Amino acid sequence: MNVALTGVLTYLALGVVGLLGRGRLCAALAILAGLAALAAWAPGFPERVMGGLPWGVPVAGDTLALAFWALILFVHAAVLWHERHRTGAFHPLLTLLMGTCLGTVFSRDLFNLYVALELASLLSFLLAGYEGKARAVWASLQYLVLATVGMTLYLFGLGLVYGKLGTLSISEIAVRSPDLSDPALAVGVGLLLAGAAVKGGLFLFGLWLPPAHGYAPTGVSAVLSGVVVKMGAVALARLSEAFPVGPVLVALGILTGFGGLLYALWEQDIKVFLAFHTVSQLGYLLIGFGLGGPAALGAILYAVAHGLFKGLLFLAAGTGIEGMGVRSIPALAGHLSLPVVLGLGVGTWAIVGLPPLAGFAAKGALAAGVPSAAKWVLFALGVGTAASFSKLIPLLRPAGRQGGLGGMGLLMGAVVGFGLWGLAEFSGLMTPGAWGEAFLGAGAGYVLYLAVRRFHPRLPRFTLDRAAVATLLGAVGLALGVLLA
Amino acid sequence: MEGIAAAALGIALGGSGLWTLVRRRNVIWKLLGLNVAAGGAILFLVAVAHRPGARPAIEGLGSGPAADPLPQALVLTAIVIHFATLALALVYVIFLTEHRHTQDVHKLEREPEEP
Repeated sequence: MNVALTGVLTYLALGVVGLLGRGRLCAALAILAGLAALAAWAPGFPERVMGGLPWGVPVAGDTLALAFWALILFVHAAVLWHERHRTGAFHPLLTLLMGTCLGTVFSRDLFNLYVALELASLLSFLLAGYEGKARAVWASLQYLVLATVGMTLYLFGLGLVYGKLGTLSISEIAVRSPDLSDPALAVGVGLLLAGAAVKGGLFLFGLWLPPAHGYAPTGVSAVLSGVVVKMGAVALARLSEAFPVGPVLVALGILTGFGGLLYALWEQDIKVFLAFHTVSQLGYLLIGFGLGGPAALGAILYAVAHGLFKGLLFLAAGTGIEGMGVRSIPALAGHLSLPVVLGLGVGTWAIVGLPPLAGFAAKGALAAGVPSAAKWVLFALGVGTAASFSKLIPLLRPAGRQGGLGGMGLLMGAVVGFGLWGLAEFSGLMTPGAWGEAFLGAGAGYVLYLAVRRFHPRLPRFTLDRAAVATLLGAVGLALGVLLA
Repeated sequence: MEGIAAAALGIALGGSGLWTLVRRRNVIWKLLGLNVAAGGAILFLVAVAHRPGARPAIEGLGSGPAADPLPQALVLTAIVIHFATLALALVYVIFLTEHRHTQDVHKLEREPEEP
């Protein structure tokens, strides 16, 4: 038995045991077990087939899995500490969810990915509606319906691919270098991509994401945005290892990046705003995974960095909302306590990509690995991010010192530490050019914010029906895209 | 021939289920549509692995080439997952019916006032 999978099983077992009682203790033990397993299997292990039969499930511990393990364990620890007052099923469910995510990143089998993603979603639905507020439950139900639509598409795609190729192993499919000019196979791959895109909350596929992440309890939002949506991105990255769909992922990434920004720019509910930003930042990941090579490594780093600072932002925003009882950015301005302001400030500084924090290091690593045309797209995305986050500047005026940092301290330390590690690791980041570019982007973003804040365009609202239709049309588009690319 | 017919039926069920999901305003109807669509996907998965004349994939039952056991194992998992998801969805519908007194999505989408 492989030590990494033992770690996953221990995590899941402790989650189940926690349901009987002592949920927080079990969660803490699970994190320790996870760290021990991570130390034992790092820096990785080659692909092996679990089960021994010819139909066993292939797993591998690659860089992607390593980075995600570190991220998941860290975010879980921070959220456990931040939400330590919660009792009942909250922490056991969270432990189960994190354990599922730890397992997902190893999987190199299309059906196993489906099972892992479904389990993660099922636990996410439960946690998103955990507080029993009608709005959060409705958001969670929308999430559930759209996620199931996505997974139904995924199953159809799985059937087509299995019927054509006779295997579900990602490595084995890659070896056979499938020919995507075959319409049945192209449609199958398009449906698989669409299913993963729904889980990943990409623009036009994942319109469940903003309400579900926005109205979930504080710690749950941090985990959903920081870790769980990335599982969809992981599935897309695995699919791009099996099939030559890089250009489709890049196109999807550009659409997601700018689509999310468009909605984030004018959103006034702070948590929904952060959720739309999760959509837009997924664009970076997809562009990186789609281009492959060094860009894929940059995307992995950005996934980790984004998990840390978006977790921090959601914890800070949620703490502020709980303290004030209001959600809109103008109403919160000038009423937040110092720890919340610190959390929002560090998170904003990082997500805008200013040195020396994690966002700068990860965006720099990603930009270093992409061709020059893609650099401009990334720069434009960075300007848009800075423009929409400029809205938060009025919030950065503390009104008191009450309250502690909680789990935010842990994530702040990680954001700073990751940034400094990145500066030491990537020589290209310590140049005046890179720093100048980062501040130029932020400055341009602020100017853009001043220009657009007077407008209040009426963007179409996404109801459940519209989101479902968008998902189905998006799936058709993806299938056509795979066929023509 | 049975394989193609079953696959076509699976696609038809998937399409009609998704159509119901999009067209109906009642949440219960939407969930029913979703369940039919998921059933279609499961049927499709079994149908694509169909081999004419194959015996059931059980040791000692008939002779000749056995059917592919993998998709049958897969759909068992998928059925369990869909069962769990549907059960949870119905619990949420019960909750919403009690708290918002409606199952109509257009009414549910009007935001209630709560922090």
